[in-house]
Amino acid sequence: MIPSIVSPLHEGKVITIRNLKYVYEGGVTALVEVSLDFKRGEYAAIVGGNGSGKTTLAKTLNGLLRPTSGQVLIEERDASQMTVAELAKTVGYAFQNPDHQLFCSSVEEEIRFGPQNLGYPEDEVRKNVDRAVEAMALGKLRAVAPLSLRLGERRRVSIASVIAMNPEVLILDEPSTGLDNEETEELMAKLKVLNDEGKTIILITHDMRLVADHAKRVIVLSQGRVLLDSDPRGAFSDLDLLRQSNLQPPAVTQLAHRLVERGIPKDIISPQELVFQVLRAGGIK
Amino acid sequence: MTGGFVDLFTPADTFLHRLDPRVKIIAVLLLSVLAFILSNLDSLLLLLGFIFLLLFLARATLSRTLFALKFVVRFMVLIVVLWPLFDPSGTPVLAELGPVKITEPAIWRGVTSAVRVGCLATVWYILMFTTSQRDLVRALVKLGLRFDYGLTLAISLRFLPTFGVLIESIKDAQRARGLELSKGGLVRRSKNYVAVLVPTIVSALRTADTLSLALQSRAYGARADRTYLRELSMRPADYVALTVLVALLVLPAVAKFLLHVQI
Repeated sequence: MIPSIVSPLHEGKVITIRNLKYVYEGGVTALVEVSLDFKRGEYAAIVGGNGSGKTTLAKTLNGLLRPTSGQVLIEERDASQMTVAELAKTVGYAFQNPDHQLFCSSVEEEIRFGPQNLGYPEDEVRKNVDRAVEAMALGKLRAVAPLSLRLGERRRVSIASVIAMNPEVLILDEPSTGLDNEETEELMAKLKVLNDEGKTIILITHDMRLVADHAKRVIVLSQGRVLLDSDPRGAFSDLDLLRQSNLQPPAVTQLAHRLVERGIPKDIISPQELVFQVLRAGGIK
Repeated sequence: MTGGFVDLFTPADTFLHRLDPRVKIIAVLLLSVLAFILSNLDSLLLLLGFIFLLLFLARATLSRTLFALKFVVRFMVLIVVLWPLFDPSGTPVLAELGPVKITEPAIWRGVTSAVRVGCLATVWYILMFTTSQRDLVRALVKLGLRFDYGLTLAISLRFLPTFGVLIESIKDAQRARGLELSKGGLVRRSKNYVAVLVPTIVSALRTADTLSLALQSRAYGARADRTYLRELSMRPADYVALTVLVALLVLPAVAKFLLHVQI
């Protein structure tokens, strides 16, 4: 288990973003004017259609991209003054495609790679690796070659390799891509444990069900701006707004919207809730 | 964004863009041979002038051309500077320092070679600038290249930018795990690159695998006598251009090798 060290001193903002603007070489503006705060222990999802700027935003948080203007503070320190390796100690970033990361001959080595790069002493490396292996349930696979694993397992290895650096914030880019329902739920359950232990989790996704089921805060991006920043319930009640960002709420929310005239509230985000509301309304005639 | 530099082709509707790609390939070969036949600086400058006229007719912008030929220009400067240092023949001697002798003819020989390199580079640039990769491969196949090889070439060209993007993404992914690519000595650095190289090769193999399945599922290689959606056909203008170009090579060649005119 990763011990949670949420002392009062550590509580508060872990990421502060002020007036962030990012323009790619060639003149494409990916982020126009973004200001956000992330508190320690939050579980947030950054959503938006393709080209909305969500990956760009995430990459500015660990220094892979340097803002054109504006400021990113990581634990009160200016990110522009820190290297990617330094930032990796606080902000872990698991890429969408695990095959872009995996290169070692065993899962164990793969997970060791990060903490070793950061220069942690050997006993701490070992401790972090053990925790990461446990957090992603890879105990039986330690000696296996990562590239011979199934996609779901490969993704867990790549996430474990980020967790092993013991970052305060864990950013996951499209973690459910290519996973089946069961694998996704398994992964999300493991992320929840990490979150309960005090880690900040940020999902980047357009899988609205994932967001509805797991995130406690939804940030909708559209054309490089924050369109909405609320809890999932609030985020899914405004269909027009979501459409602006090329997003669709989960099927169950869409169904609820259609049943409004029959007395079903709009802000439903789970099938159980819908069933409950339908029963309470005395069924649908 | 990334990797856009790999394909120099710029679509436009000019005479050179419309020219049959086979004629263009032949033209480039002929002009390249011509650049080697000519040995006078004056005639080479004339050739360079002609090539630049073609470049102008293809509506190439100066900034793009300079960007594409950046390395060639540096190479040319290098030739002009180094040639006199290593070629002590001829008189008058302009300067002498120990074993190094700078002579006037050597300087001109350096400039001549630089102009020749300029001709060669620019003429190939025009081909790449006015011909899409697909047309290029189509023409090579028409000229007798086996279709398999043509397709292989086309796929390689097509995937260059894709792999450019892929490598950037892999580098980012490893940097996010604390890898510092430019840190340490030569050994450490090459070891660092293993972390980029392995995922790149694995991804390339996976892509190749998928691609071969995609080709098979579209019945690639089902018949040896495959047909083509777009047939290349020579128009009168193409024949005129071809004739002019052949004349452009044959006349100086005859003058030089049969009439022994110094050109």
